[in-house]
Amino acid sequence: MYRYDAIDKSILTDRSNEFRHQVSRRLAGDMTEDQFKPLRLMNGLYLQLHAYMLRVAIPYGALSSNQLRRLAWIGRTYDKGYGHFTTRTNIQFHWIKLRDAPDILDALAEADLHAIQTSGNCIRNTTTDPYAGATADEADDPRVWSEAIRQWSTIHPEFSYLPRKFKIAVTAAPEDRTAAKVHDVGLQLRRARDGQLGFEVMVGGGLGRTPYIGQTIREHLPVRHLLSYLTAILRVYNRLGRRDNIYKARIKILVASLGAEEFGRQVEAEWAQIDHDKVDLPDTELARIRGAFSRLDFEALPAISPLFDATRKADQGFARFARNNLKPHKAPGYTIVNISLKPPGGVPGDCSSEQMDVVADLAERFGHDEIRVTHEQNLVLPHVRLDDVPEVYAALNAAGLATPNISLASDIIACPGLDYCALANARAIPVAQAIAARFAEPELAQKVGELKIKISGCINACGHHHVGHIGILGVDKKGEEYYQLTLGGSGAEDARLGDVLGPALAYDQVAPAIDALVDAFLKERQGGERFLDTYLRVGLTPFKAAVYADAH
Amino acid sequence: MSYAAITANDLQTGDVVFWASGRWVEQFAEAELFDAAETGEAALDAAKAQATRVIDPYRIDVALEDGLPVPISYRERVRALGPTIHPDMGKQAEGGSVIKAMQSAHGAARSSGRLGLIRLKK
Repeated sequence: MYRYDAIDKSILTDRSNEFRHQVSRRLAGDMTEDQFKPLRLMNGLYLQLHAYMLRVAIPYGALSSNQLRRLAWIGRTYDKGYGHFTTRTNIQFHWIKLRDAPDILDALAEADLHAIQTSGNCIRNTTTDPYAGATADEADDPRVWSEAIRQWSTIHPEFSYLPRKFKIAVTAAPEDRTAAKVHDVGLQLRRARDGQLGFEVMVGGGLGRTPYIGQTIREHLPVRHLLSYLTAILRVYNRLGRRDNIYKARIKILVASLGAEEFGRQVEAEWAQIDHDKVDLPDTELARIRGAFSRLDFEALPAISPLFDATRKADQGFARFARNNLKPHKAPGYTIVNISLKPPGGVPGDCSSEQMDVVADLAERFGHDEIRVTHEQNLVLPHVRLDDVPEVYAALNAAGLATPNISLASDIIACPGLDYCALANARAIPVAQAIAARFAEPELAQKVGELKIKISGCINACGHHHVGHIGILGVDKKGEEYYQLTLGGSGAEDARLGDVLGPALAYDQVAPAIDALVDAFLKERQGGERFLDTYLRVGLTPFKAAVYADAH
Repeated sequence: MSYAAITANDLQTGDVVFWASGRWVEQFAEAELFDAAETGEAALDAAKAQATRVIDPYRIDVALEDGLPVPISYRERVRALGPTIHPDMGKQAEGGSVIKAMQSAHGAARSSGRLGLIRLKK
């Protein structure tokens, strides 16, 4: 993976020193909270309900073992022994003290980690396919381009005060594991018929109060022009995006009001003005970045592992784990191991410091020192030999990390909600726990198959509820927690916003309603349909009847 | 009969704190309760003057349930207790009768939890 160079390291040291000085001025009373707040937010430090929360960037979701161990250490030393992985593939610590924050930033910087651009109206952490460099079906390694965007966008002076935050996702496989179409900019890497690599550029997607699916403004942008074209998009947005109304400030509102065609025309006009050679990535730098990601040391292994096959036959738990949590790797004899952070009774995305250490050790011993974070709040060991999977599984199982539920009903995305978040209207985590408990029986979860349930505790949609096969949105109804259900959303390549099922449900009606929805699905299902397929075929009616007959 | 209390977050630690006769205390059970707009207003002004001690002091609505004070807003109860999913974390870990009263309280007034003392005059 990419290692920070001297420039990256000096940026982190400088930023950390600067923040230490800012904190001391705030504590001494030389700055008001109004003056200080934007500065701490630029370093990922929020004030939540119970404490400060520090959001640490994990660029395109990739960590080394050393970095994950450092995060574990921070959780143990400065927090309550855990961290929370987010839908932006970052990690949040929920119990941070302001007076410790400068030391934490120093400790992060030592491991090439930081909290820059994890808040504020700037270009946030770029996300990509957690299987990058491991899956056979990618047109190119999307981390190469994500890293180029990271370098270009880090403390970019022109784009540090945008009308609103800006999120970019890059994917290179036909199966979209990044929710690219609900990002401010979604980039889909493809090879044209002539073999040339290019990006489909989608703009104006997003969730929140006003959800939109991104629209394509360029079918095929030659990859070498990525940075100049992004610059053109950001310039048009920076110029025309609304600054008068925070709810209308995202690029999706601009794209919707101008129309994608007109927005695209303006981007092309802006792009024509830019001296591409000054902005685009030089070939030498591209080659340097690409070199950092090229994996040449996969062993030549047979495609089949007798040990793996024998363990699968002998151990039902292992067989279930293999079926749900392993994905095909491009190299024979290797596999992609998904680590679920959604155990029954657990908090989606939470990982204890001990568990982080276990994963870091496994990555070091068996996984080429790489860990990925997924936007579905799980972890991935992208390169594991099939021969090693039984041992990896045993270690994960001992640490409570072998829940075999990837993409099943209990693999729920949930934001921190009202248990932690100052913006939330309702809790998300206990709702997820109540639903997951109903699918704790593996046979039932397996029978239901792929079912993506996503829960947000407020309209800001950190839990991606709009694109859940079943989406759950916490709302405040006369001061009580209520939950609005949507069906038929998808954040994948078939991206679609969910349809509202009906009137919002009270807290304790949500899990029974999910039961009713699943029962209705099992009745209506044809063949091997997923919940989403059945919904798209039959529509709301049977689901509506099931929930409102039971719940009201 | 409804009351008000004053809450904020500690600047250095981020901890939820409550005003108690010129001091900041960590447990809601020790918070000073106001039933008159004038005294609450003066206390809030004093609290706001402590800008290097706390962040953003504000008033919250409090009701008595079986003689024990409980923030009316669900959000404020979560702040005064800790995450509902981790009973061992936050202030609720200390236990006590007021903690129990808050944990068993139902319903909520307004999720923002913030209000002007003027409402108390009703």
